[in-house]
Amino acid sequence: MAAQVQERSPLDSDMLGPIRTETMTLNMGPQHPSTHGVLRVVLELDGETVLSCEPVIGYLHTGIEKSMEEKTYNKALPMTDRMDYLAPMSNNLGFVLAVEKLLALEVPRRCRYLRVLLAEMTRLNSHLVWLGTHALDLGAMTVFLYCFREREQLLRIFEKVSGVRMMTSYFRVGGVAREPYPAFHEDCRRFLEPFSERVDEYEELLTDNPIYRRRARGVCPMTAAQALALGVTGPLLRACGVAYDIRKNEPYSGYEEFDFEVPVGERGDILDRYLVRIAEMRQSRRIAMQALEGMPEGPLMADNPKVVPPPKEQLAHDMEALIHHFKIFTEGYSVPEGEAYVAIESPRGELGYYIISDGGPSPYKVKVRAPSFSNLHALSEITRGGLMGDVVAAIGSIDIVLGEIDR
Amino acid sequence: MGEEGQGRAEAPEPIEERDPDLVLLRVRIGRGLLGASEHRGQISARVAPGSLLDAARFLRDERGFSLLSFVCGVDCLELPVPYRFKVAYSLLNPEKSRRLRLETPCEDDLAPAAPSLCGIWPGARLHESEAYDLLGIVFEGHPGLERILTPEGFEGHPHRKDFDISAEPVAFTFRDAPAGKPRAAE
Repeated sequence: MAAQVQERSPLDSDMLGPIRTETMTLNMGPQHPSTHGVLRVVLELDGETVLSCEPVIGYLHTGIEKSMEEKTYNKALPMTDRMDYLAPMSNNLGFVLAVEKLLALEVPRRCRYLRVLLAEMTRLNSHLVWLGTHALDLGAMTVFLYCFREREQLLRIFEKVSGVRMMTSYFRVGGVAREPYPAFHEDCRRFLEPFSERVDEYEELLTDNPIYRRRARGVCPMTAAQALALGVTGPLLRACGVAYDIRKNEPYSGYEEFDFEVPVGERGDILDRYLVRIAEMRQSRRIAMQALEGMPEGPLMADNPKVVPPPKEQLAHDMEALIHHFKIFTEGYSVPEGEAYVAIESPRGELGYYIISDGGPSPYKVKVRAPSFSNLHALSEITRGGLMGDVVAAIGSIDIVLGEIDR
Repeated sequence: MGEEGQGRAEAPEPIEERDPDLVLLRVRIGRGLLGASEHRGQISARVAPGSLLDAARFLRDERGFSLLSFVCGVDCLELPVPYRFKVAYSLLNPEKSRRLRLETPCEDDLAPAAPSLCGIWPGARLHESEAYDLLGIVFEGHPGLERILTPEGFEGHPHRKDFDISAEPVAFTFRDAPAGKPRAAE
């Protein structure tokens, strides 16, 4: 019987029968250059087609929320920029606004303008890193170099204003850490004025580039209904055509005084996410310029000696000021009992701080609503049925920061 | 919603009779709405676990709260409330830019549980897994409740107030010396 079979040609399809195939499970990460951090993705593949794509997180879990419960509000603040290290000042802003909400504390108008200016420059910083790395993922090397050229200028300004390039911790409850340096406005203007032409440069490299368009148009689309059901916010949601921007819809920190537009997409694919972010960079520049031009005179810190430490110069010759300074930084200040949730529009979407205070000097509970955490959900939805090669493009287009996902 | 921040009792009229969403929610779930409060202009409604799914479906379908912003488990061990765990849900109505917080107390202090909202907002999946991981709250009806943040084999729930963060044991792993290599003591 067996001998008879061997006599037939092995190419005869009758003999081979149906070709047996099986799906393959492929592990991507956690150490992988295009997962933008320590993300592991488990892919179930049928040939080149993605059957399922499950992100596995937790590699960067450091218990930041738990640690905050042990610290005074002042000491908890520097942990916030460690979560989203690409947009430190947005994180600072969310936290201080939530604490100020609990304290019912108003900051002066000049402080609000300065915060808006720096928050928008942080958005530019974050979008520049996103644009550079997203283009790099798709094989466009040059964009990365241009983006990092501009980012370096921004980081220099951040360093001069706060003392640190990345982990700025510059915004404080009741104001900011210190007065900006004398040439701050000059430096900001020198960066912001030519920035529109810089964005034109990036667009020349990508927007009409046929290679990029074919990798991005119609790839991994998401509908508005899907996005809302999954809790997706930020540029991803706006790329689906939902014009929800917390700066516009629930203005905070004086955003209602600024004139800007909320760019939206139509198809919700990778190209639309790209176009929305590019348009957002132009709007951010517009807001930052308005904040710079219209920066009011006046005090920078809130008039609340319980929360705001006395000026540093006083410490040298005023004993009471010195005691006061030490009391604020060692004991902290008590925050009235209650709960508050404050959401801001971070470069990645809705960044919120849900803080419960039991009346003591440290928060009873802090929950960080990280935009990337919810946005990453979308990965399995948008890659299902697509090609394996597009998974990298999809991860890049979501713009995740694993530090805030794992916290 | 002005700044009537000072509290619940002093407000001229209780918030659940002033706010249209809460008035209609009370009509829908009746005594399932345990109470509501307003603090610093933000509204939170306490809902019994049995009525949570009804309340969530009503708020999503008829009141436009189409986005679930987050799910957060809270250990109330040191707070003056009669239950130990609660779950807070933050809802957003993007059309009206309104937010509402729902809270549900977990009935059993030793084995806390709450109904899963994954069937209403699929985005609740990872948030509920996070609350299960960090606080040990079991979400009934969740499609795949698992630890997502803590490492494999981790014991305990680190966001509980009685979890001592200074006492986490260091996980050593030992490997035998390769064959043929003398051990250090020999």
